[in-house]
Amino acid sequence: MFRNSGICLVAEELWDLLLPKKMAAIANCVRHALVRNACLLRVMLPRTAVVGIQQNHIHTKTWNQFYALHKPSLIQCLTWRQAGQIRHFAEAKPSMDQIRDRVLSVCRAYDKVTADKLTIESHFMNDLGLDSLDHVEVIMAMEDEFGFEIPDTDAEKLVRPADIVRYVADKEDVYD
Amino acid sequence: MSQKSRVINLYKTLLHLGREYPQGYDYFRTRLKRAFSKNKQVSDPKKIDILIAHGNYVVKELEALYMLRKYRTLKRRYYSDN
Repeated sequence: MFRNSGICLVAEELWDLLLPKKMAAIANCVRHALVRNACLLRVMLPRTAVVGIQQNHIHTKTWNQFYALHKPSLIQCLTWRQAGQIRHFAEAKPSMDQIRDRVLSVCRAYDKVTADKLTIESHFMNDLGLDSLDHVEVIMAMEDEFGFEIPDTDAEKLVRPADIVRYVADKEDVYD
Repeated sequence: MSQKSRVINLYKTLLHLGREYPQGYDYFRTRLKRAFSKNKQVSDPKKIDILIAHGNYVVKELEALYMLRKYRTLKRRYYSDN
């Protein structure tokens, strides 16, 4: 679109520069025709450009020959800029101990849990004195920590930190 | 869905919504906790239904509040004089 309007402008300037005043009327006619057909130009020009690229056999042929000879690895093909865009996957799975530490630190961070009473086997409601609403908040904190949603039906079974550790380990396919 | 899980679900929804509450998440959380525990001894299923309906109404109100805040922010960006 921009390119086409650029062409129109250039043509206009050329007409204004080169033609004597007598021809100005004719020039105006041509210019009007150009402007009137600008839509047609706009549609036609990109198409011809695409055909031009498709018909460039020589370029693809040489590239194929080069490729057959050298067979570069994927990394060599990419420039440094593209190489920065390669996706790297996450590190290896967390170990059982890491999950246990994370679960316990999330529990400890919750303000109504007293840190010295907290062990891996302590019951949230009976030992730590939380009510069901606090329990919901702890489960939500776990969801934030591990990045997946825990459905309500599963959440009500997770009454000890040890249960949560086992549940998370199942989800992440971590086994002892 | 049982009544208990509906209450739990409502509490979760409200907590999620409360994260962007203008006076801060902690303010919202303590208020919400107080509102829920104020009615914890209610055992009549009909009354609990009414309370859950009231909670859902609050959810709608909060959503409306956030929409309004968003609208006002956008408007302020376009018309800086008012």
